[in-house]
Order: sequence, then C-alpha cells, then structure tokens
Amino acid sequence: MTQDDALEIAARTVDLALAAGADAAEATCSFADRFQVEARDTTVSKLEQSRGSSIHVRLWNGGRLANVTSSDLRADSLRDAIASAYDQSGCVAADPYAGLPHACSVYEGDLELHDPNVADRDWEAKVEDALVLERAIRAADPRVVNSSGSHYVDATNMVALANSIGFRSAYKSTRAARSSAPVAQENGRKRTSHYGTAARAMRELEDCTLVAATAARRAVEMFGARKPATMHVPVIFERDVAALVLGDIFAAVAASHVAVGNSWLADRIGERVGSELVTIVDDGTLPRRLGSSPFDGEGVPTRRTTVFERGVLQTFLYDTYYARKLGARTTGNSTGGGVGANNFYLAAGTHSLDELIAATPRGVLVLGTIGFATEHATGTYSRGARGFMIENGELAYPIDEFTVAGNFAAMLAGVDAVANDLRFDGSTVSPSLRVAEMTVSGN
Amino acid sequence: MLDHDACDRLISRALRNGGDYADVFCERRRSWSFRLQDGCIHEGSTSIALGVGIRVVAGESAGYAYSDDLSIEALLRAAEAASLIARGAPAGAIASVAVTCAALESLYDRSRDDHAEAARYVELLERADLAARAYDHRINAVNAHVSDELQDVWIATSEGRYVHDRRPMITLGVQAVARLGCERGSGYLGDGGRTSIAYFDEHTPEDLARDAAQIAATNLDAIAAPAGEMEMVVGAGGGGVLLHEAVGHGLESDFNRRGTSLYSGRVGERVASEVVTIYDDGNLPEERGSIAIDDEGIPGQHKVLVERGILRGYMQDTLNARLMGVSSTGSGRRHSFRFLPQPRMCNTYMPAGEATLEEIIASTKRGLYAKHFAGGQVEISKGDFVFMVAEGYLIEDGKITAPVKNASIVGNGPDAMTKVVAVGNDARLARGHYTCGKAGQLVPVGVGMPTVKISSITVGGTSDDAG
Repeated sequence: MTQDDALEIAARTVDLALAAGADAAEATCSFADRFQVEARDTTVSKLEQSRGSSIHVRLWNGGRLANVTSSDLRADSLRDAIASAYDQSGCVAADPYAGLPHACSVYEGDLELHDPNVADRDWEAKVEDALVLERAIRAADPRVVNSSGSHYVDATNMVALANSIGFRSAYKSTRAARSSAPVAQENGRKRTSHYGTAARAMRELEDCTLVAATAARRAVEMFGARKPATMHVPVIFERDVAALVLGDIFAAVAASHVAVGNSWLADRIGERVGSELVTIVDDGTLPRRLGSSPFDGEGVPTRRTTVFERGVLQTFLYDTYYARKLGARTTGNSTGGGVGANNFYLAAGTHSLDELIAATPRGVLVLGTIGFATEHATGTYSRGARGFMIENGELAYPIDEFTVAGNFAAMLAGVDAVANDLRFDGSTVSPSLRVAEMTVSGN
Repeated sequence: MLDHDACDRLISRALRNGGDYADVFCERRRSWSFRLQDGCIHEGSTSIALGVGIRVVAGESAGYAYSDDLSIEALLRAAEAASLIARGAPAGAIASVAVTCAALESLYDRSRDDHAEAARYVELLERADLAARAYDHRINAVNAHVSDELQDVWIATSEGRYVHDRRPMITLGVQAVARLGCERGSGYLGDGGRTSIAYFDEHTPEDLARDAAQIAATNLDAIAAPAGEMEMVVGAGGGGVLLHEAVGHGLESDFNRRGTSLYSGRVGERVASEVVTIYDDGNLPEERGSIAIDDEGIPGQHKVLVERGILRGYMQDTLNARLMGVSSTGSGRRHSFRFLPQPRMCNTYMPAGEATLEEIIASTKRGLYAKHFAGGQVEISKGDFVFMVAEGYLIEDGKITAPVKNASIVGNGPDAMTKVVAVGNDARLARGHYTCGKAGQLVPVGVGMPTVKISSITVGGTSDDAG
C-alpha cells in the first residue's frame, strides 16, 4: 500500500458519500503494520504480527452529521455503510456550525515522524529486546522474582485524508516502545510496577538496561509501605504521575468539554488561574514527537498554541466545529469528531526532582495513582496513591493506601516548583511538579 | 462467514511449525448509534468491524495475527505469522482437523439481523432529555446516547469445534448536569443488555433520565466528602463494582497461573468473612455480561468464586486451564478480533443475606453510604483498590444526614472482604452498562450485590475536618 493508493481509497470514499446524497464529506484511511512481543522469564509468551486497516467517514446532509467507521474497505460494503449513515443523518438536527474546515494548505516541512529502522529491524532482534528486559529486571534486584511481562511493540502507520473541498494528503509514522512490569517479593508480600519508554525513532528509545533498572526500582521501593496519617501537606507529583494530571488539565481546556458546560475553566480566559510557573503548551509541530502530525483529524495543519502563559489562561483548544460554536478559530486539535491533544505539556523548570525533594521539609512524593474519574465540571481531583513521605527534605519511608485530593484551580495556583525532567514519551506529558498544599487522606 | 474448508486450511497452515492448539476467530460487529446534546440529535453513526484473528498455542506461548482483509491469501499470511511462535517447539499438534458444528443453548435472541427504524432510537433520546430537564429546573445540560449492536462470532479450533454466536447489545446512557451559580453536579446512568430496543418499553428512558437527574441534583446540594477512616455501607446493585475490582480480577486464572495474584494457590482457604459469597455467571438471560459461548467457543457458565468466605476457584480460559490441569470455565473473552483472549469476568455478583437496608443504616455510627460508584481500579498483586463514589451520603448516628460529593474510597481487596459485617436481603444486578478494561481490552460485564456493610474503609475527601 503506497500513500497514493491510500489517498485513492479516501478520495473514492468521499465520492461514494457525495453519490449517496451528502453535500460534504471527509474520509480518513488508516493502515497499520503492528508487531508485539511479550516475554516472561526465559519464554516468549506472546508474539503478534498483524496488518490492519480502517476508514472513518464523516458526511453532512444540510448541516446534519453522520459517521461511518469500518474495517471493511471493500467498495460495496462501504457503499452500504454510507447509505445507512446517510439515512441516519435524516434524524439529526441541522447544526449551523457543522461541516468541513475552510480550505487549508498542507504543512510542507518534514516532522521526521517515520523511522524506517523500526520496520527494517529483524523480528528476532525485537524478540531479544523483550527477553533482555526480563533478564535485566531480575539482575537488577534479587527480590524481583516474577513479572507480568516485558514488551517490545512497534507500529508503522499511514494516514490518508481526503475531503470534498479538495484536501488530499497523507503521511507515514512509526512508533516503538519497550516496557517491563516486574513483580517483587519480600516476606511473602508482592509488589508490582511498570515502566516504559516510547518514541517515533529507534534511536530515541531508552535502552533495555535503563528501562529494566527503573522498573525494578519501582517494584522494590514500596516494600514496608505504611498508611500515612490524614494531613494537609505539599505534594510532589513525579513526572509520569504529573503527566496524568496534565491529561485532566487538557480535558478542561478541550473546547468540546467547555461548550457543554463540562469544564471548570469555562469563562476564565484571560484570568490568572495558575502560578507563575504554569506555562502549558500544545504543539503538533515538534519534530519526532509522538503527538506531532502535519495535519489534524480533519486536515487542518497543526500548530503551536500556548494555553497557559505564566499562569494566565490564554485559549481553549479547538477543532473546527467547536471553534465555530464558541466564536474562535480552530487550533488544529481535531481528532476527526472530537478535540484531542497534539503534544500537550507543562514547560520544564530548572531544578531536578531530587532538588525539589530536598527543598520540601515535610510532604508527600506521589509515584503512582489509581482511579480515573474526574469531575471536569467542578475540577475536583481525587486519586488513590502511593509514594513516599518526605521529612526534612529526604524520602523518609514508603506510603500507600491513601488518597490525594484537591481541586484543579487550587492545584494550578499552588504549583510552587517544576522540575527539569520532562520527557516526550506520549502526547500528554509533564515534568515533576510540586503543589504547595493538598489533602492526603489516610488513617 | 468463513467456510469449513477455509478454516481447515488456516488451522493447518497455522500449525505448520508445530504447536499444541490453533484457533480461528472471525468477527463481524455492526453497530448503529445516535447521540443527543443541547436538546438536539447531534449525530448518527454506523460502524462495522470485520476481521479474523488466528492463534497458535505452543506450551505457555501464543502466536497471534489478525487481518481485516478476508481474502484467503491475506488470511494464510496471518496464519503463517501466527505460526512463528511454534518455531522450534516440539511438534505434538493435530495434523489434520475435523470441524463440526456444536449446538448452542441461547440466552438471548440470536435471530435478529438488523436494527429497528431510526425514529425509535431518536425518540428514546428525546424522551430522556425531556424527562431529565423536567425533573429539576436546575438541570441545565443533558447528554444522551443510544447504540444497538450485533456481534457475530465464528470460532473454529484444531480440536474440532466450529461454532457461531450472535450477540445483540442495546445500550442507553444519560448524563445530566445540574447547575446553580458556580456550583455544578453531575449524574450518569446507563441501561440495556443483550436484548433489543423493545427492552425500553418497560424500562423507560424517563425512569433512567429522572434517576440520572436526581443524582445530579443531589450532587449539586452535596457537601464536601469527609476524609479519613470510617464505616461504609455499599449500595445494592451498583456496589457490585466493589466485588468486580476488589476480588474478581484477582481470581482471573492468568494472574494465578503465573503467581502474580495475591490469591495464587489459595483455593480452599478463607479469603473473606463468612457472610461473603461471590458468583460469576455467564448464563443470566439477556444480561450485559452473558455469553452463550465465550470467544474460544466454550459455553458460558455459572462459577462459584467464593462460598461463605472460602475461595472456591478461578475463572479460566483454555490456555491457562490447560496449563493448570483444569477445564475452561467459559471465561475466555476478547475485545475484538484484534486481540488474544484473556480470562475475564461475565456477571459478577453476591447473593442476598438477611439484613434489611434500614437495619444496616441504623447500625452505622459514622460512615459513608456509597450508593453508586463511578468506576474503580485495582492493583492485582497486592489488591489495593480505589473507587469513585458517584452518589454518596453521610451516615451519622444511624441516620442518613447529608449527600456528599467527590468522595473516593481506597482500600485493599482481601482486607475489605474480611471486614464485611452485614449483607442485605436486597440483592440485585445493577442497572447500568459496565465495561471492564484489562490490558487495553474492553468487554461488557454485569455487576450485582445486596446492600453490604464494611466496618472500616479510607475515604478520600476534601473536607477541612482533616487532621
């Protein structure tokens, strides 16, 4: 499958939608070659190699939207599915904001999203990565006695988008990842952890030794954890946990949430919400990053958007539909039916995580959270957590079975330190950060 | 979809390097949905997933490949990719395969081949919207969706099984948001099952929408949840999420075969207080988690997981069952043809005890009445869990006093199960559309429970009475 073949399928599908009666249409084809290996101890427990394809069609009938999603790209099947969706559009309310974006030019620069070394690598070498990780977690600490698997996965993707006002463009990308999930045992008690690395290019992946050492350390460091007292203290969110917090911040600046009253940040553009240290950017144009792409899910070129500038909320993030609805311009954040992050990150500070800890007389370092329900309407944050008690600027002892809670407005205003450890291993990322005070609930 | 000859060829090709077992999983999923927002039907969607997954099992290892190109050439390539796992494995496999049809007892209507006319789905959404807004003038936003799905699966195995199932699924979900000044409260409820749109003739969208609106309005009036350790009364029905997370996942056989679950090797031991019995059942008619056959072609079953506090058994798929020397319990499920099967839950529930809700509340000095959960998560090896409370009330001196919002609870599964001190007589399955996620795979499940009291749990709140 070449990019031209993929574009041809997308363009033909747009024509099918117009022939069915639509007055505007858009088709996005995705093709992926995926490889995945899982090792457990000295055994290759899973080996998967697949080729997948899918298509997403949006069609409009007088401002009435209907979608088709299908993995069956045969023309007669697509024709039937499009006819079904066109019928559905008859029941949808006409929406003056619905429709294609205005005609856009295509981003011409090279974002270096495709690394041929990913697909070219021998599958035996990929399998060896997973086996090496399994050996290395056991070598890193004798208490690592088992694992929930070490993985190497990669994918080569191609996306082709065509619409009825003449947009036609395609791009290829790659992604590779290594991860490990050791199980450690001490005095009959078990602890698990997980650590991984992901990148567009092979050379940017963290090597197996580092991944294994970090995963093993995370598994053993929680032995002897106690339940802390209930208290109000400074809380440091380690990098990977802070990235999850950024995910919740993203949800509150996504125009799709703002427009339906499901964001605590609605009506607050121009206000100082966060501390001076809170500069948050969405940027789809960073070379080689996992959240980068030449155009978004509806063919709009991606761009760099500063969402918070030194604590002041500058803008929400929009696709075409919500931009029209809220009287703004798209920021190139369409997922092809919703609003999504490109590279959404908190700008890094200058101090290391260790320095942040040393500068905290008494507080909590959060290394992991569980739970996911966030009330975006009210901005309430509450998670089950594990981590360390900090006393006199040092990690005193591990703690778990507690919750950390607060609300996002107070958390952003309370950010009083940001570390320098930002890494782009996903599309929503953050350096470690400290919040001046939160509620920690334990005994 | 794929004829016997094609399956025979694919299985033979998949086992060309050896291996103990191979299967072909062909799936066609057709779904049809509408979404309502701002009082209007916002969009309609038609979705089709069609593809084949081919698996080879050799010892503890599984090779897998899928294709959504159904040409025999593409499928043979997939079979070859799956066969790589067995390179160098001892050849003990069946050389030629005989496929036969198995009869199925049905738990749901397997004959329906299409959705109803569009206007009926749209009407459900519009009725839900009106009812939610009419419930309380402070309801200022309603989002609702309806989907109707038919999933066909065809499974052929090297052991000679060849089976087909058609699984219907209808789902209606309503979110209501109440607003007064800057305060907001939100409520979400869903309903449906392996049935058709006629289900909502009896279980009306108005009832569902009013209940969602009631939760939203209650949360608008709610006070901040207290923080710290207290008693907890878990609501009937939806409280079953607690069983699912705190115990159920730990009894899935993959974790236990590999010794990563804290329940590994503990069948026959006491793992909960004596009043605790837990079942997982794939055979409840038309329930969301029910399956006539699982995704490996094994009939769904009723399983006793915990009986009067004693661990009785795990939920098994074929791979883990074979390696543990037991039989599959019909628990092998997959997200789609793009995934290997895993041992999973179906409908997990606790049967009724003897206490009344009133007695349980009256016996509680200071606690949280968690009537609905918004979701939860568990860490398997240690059993730590967290739940978000969607509708909760404070209990003081044996009386429900005030709604609380934004409570989450954290605890440890085995520990919480030993602290179950009362089980109500009001057992029921939850209304809702619960979806369980494991290693990136989502499957529909059911949960159920009577009102249950746990003597002590940690509540994470934001109220200022924290010490």
